[in-house]
Amino acid sequence: MSEARGRWAFARRPAGARWASAGRKAAAVGRIAFRHQLAYKTDFALRGFFLLFILFVFIQLWSAAYGGDFEKVISGFTLKQIVWYLVFTEALTLAAPPVCSRIEEEVKNGDVAIRLVRPQSYLNYHFSVFSSEALTRFAVHLAVGSAIAWPFVGPPDFGYGWFGLLALSAGALTVTFLLLMLVGLCAFWVEETSGLYFVLQKLQFTIGGMLLPIDLMPEWLQRVCAWLPFQAALYFPARMGVQFDGELLTRQLAIQAAWIAVLAIAVNRMYRRGVTKLHVNGG
Amino acid sequence: MGTLALRTRGLGKTFRVKRKEAGLSASFRSLWKPNWETKEAVRGIDLTVREGETVAFLGPNGAGKSTTIKMLSGILHPSYGEAEVLGFTPWKEREELAYRIGTVFGQKSQLWYHLPPIDTFELIGTVYELKRDEFAKRRNDLIERFELGPYLHTPVRKLSLGERMRCEIAASMLHRPKLLFMDEPTIGLDAVVKQRIRELIRERNRKEGTTVFLTSHDAGDVESLCSRAIVIHHGGVLLDEPVERMRREVLSRKNVTLKLAEGADPSGLPEIDGAEWEKADGGYCLAVDLKRTTIERVLGELIGRVGFTDVNVEDPPLEEIIKHIYGLKARTEEEEP
Repeated sequence: MSEARGRWAFARRPAGARWASAGRKAAAVGRIAFRHQLAYKTDFALRGFFLLFILFVFIQLWSAAYGGDFEKVISGFTLKQIVWYLVFTEALTLAAPPVCSRIEEEVKNGDVAIRLVRPQSYLNYHFSVFSSEALTRFAVHLAVGSAIAWPFVGPPDFGYGWFGLLALSAGALTVTFLLLMLVGLCAFWVEETSGLYFVLQKLQFTIGGMLLPIDLMPEWLQRVCAWLPFQAALYFPARMGVQFDGELLTRQLAIQAAWIAVLAIAVNRMYRRGVTKLHVNGG
Repeated sequence: MGTLALRTRGLGKTFRVKRKEAGLSASFRSLWKPNWETKEAVRGIDLTVREGETVAFLGPNGAGKSTTIKMLSGILHPSYGEAEVLGFTPWKEREELAYRIGTVFGQKSQLWYHLPPIDTFELIGTVYELKRDEFAKRRNDLIERFELGPYLHTPVRKLSLGERMRCEIAASMLHRPKLLFMDEPTIGLDAVVKQRIRELIRERNRKEGTTVFLTSHDAGDVESLCSRAIVIHHGGVLLDEPVERMRREVLSRKNVTLKLAEGADPSGLPEIDGAEWEKADGGYCLAVDLKRTTIERVLGELIGRVGFTDVNVEDPPLEEIIKHIYGLKARTEEEEP
């Protein structure tokens, strides 16, 4: 038995080789997840239609709030900036695949077993699938959102805004993934995570800045938001998209990185503990 | 004596389930004061399997077979006890062990549902870090042996269960596992596909020395595939012996079911030595004791004497076999107090 151990002791490979191998596996899972989601054409179309619909409603609402005045500035935002801000937050929100319900389903029907017999980290696997799906959806939603915002409020000419948006979006989606994972992994202990997911979603909608920029909220609430991870998932990239600020970008990237580190540690610990409690159902 | 493939010592798994009486008031009560019950899925079992063995791990539903396989493959953490699989502690060294074992769960699929099987094969090649040329050679070999060519490029959702299972088993063998855990690999398949799958597994065992550890509800899997049978019940080992011996002692029965022809008189069914008539669903069943007679002789006695339109010869269900083992054990214990 000892000879077998020696040949196969992958954990004892140098850290660089381990990371490179994990990266190759993540890329392969990402590629197959990309092809797999192309089968869900109706889902894409429905999501796109829903996005068009809600953006149309928001455009009407904010046009009324601004009295149709394109020059007016409220808390530092013009009507055009607000509308494009909403396009960006909606594109990011709808980009996230339903990780929580997937994990819950995997635990309930026992499919988690299939993930755990592979020489790949469970978290790494889900992150690859999430990234692949979220990036595709994000690109599609940006195109759909632009198709409605452009004719109503004009092109998104916000200087380096697009650069700012894209620079912060990868981190934003990572923060979203980690928050969803924290809730999804609760399925290792409790039978139902939909209640927790509901709370998380509503927090993202409100203090995450999905419905309106945090700058428009009361000052005390802005101070609370500054200490929470939700703003890093939606508000940072969307605001940077419409109001580029190089210095702020560096600071926000640093804050995102810090939240990613903290949340990744929390998710990792939760997984390690949860997997010992796991009871796999169904044959 | 070969090298050990796996060994467990007092391996057990308990879990807590919420117990709830029927009715609305009980639902409310359980909200405030849940009544937890500890269930013992596996009760301290000791197993030893050597490399190259083909072991059938049998037991009725809920006996702890799947839980044991999941502990041995590193999916579940045991509540107590020890296990060593190919030199690794499964739940502590799950990813390292994963390179060396293959798993097939008859009721779960590892193939990507909307994509053709070839795509999952490619993914497996990367995830198991197989060298490109070695992987291609191995993949082509398995495609040929498992006759997967015609549906390799068909989305999995369009495959029949038999076709999908062949792909599942081939997928689990791509990385040349030394030990193959199979949890009911022939469930729901028809007799011809079952037989083909058994042949393929046996071939891998013969050619590559793959150790096979298999659970099944089908006595046919055990007889045609395994050299040793371990029967567990209520989480503990009830019987552990060569299939040859088990066949002699407890698999020595066959059920012959007859569908009588219209107008045939059931009271005219002949008495046959070594066989007993039982009423069965939709017909009459002869429980044949192969230690006393043969199927050939029984059918010979029936032909021409009883009018029947259909005849079916099959193994008794595993539940019946286990009941029989229980009976034997009880008798032995009475005789040797």
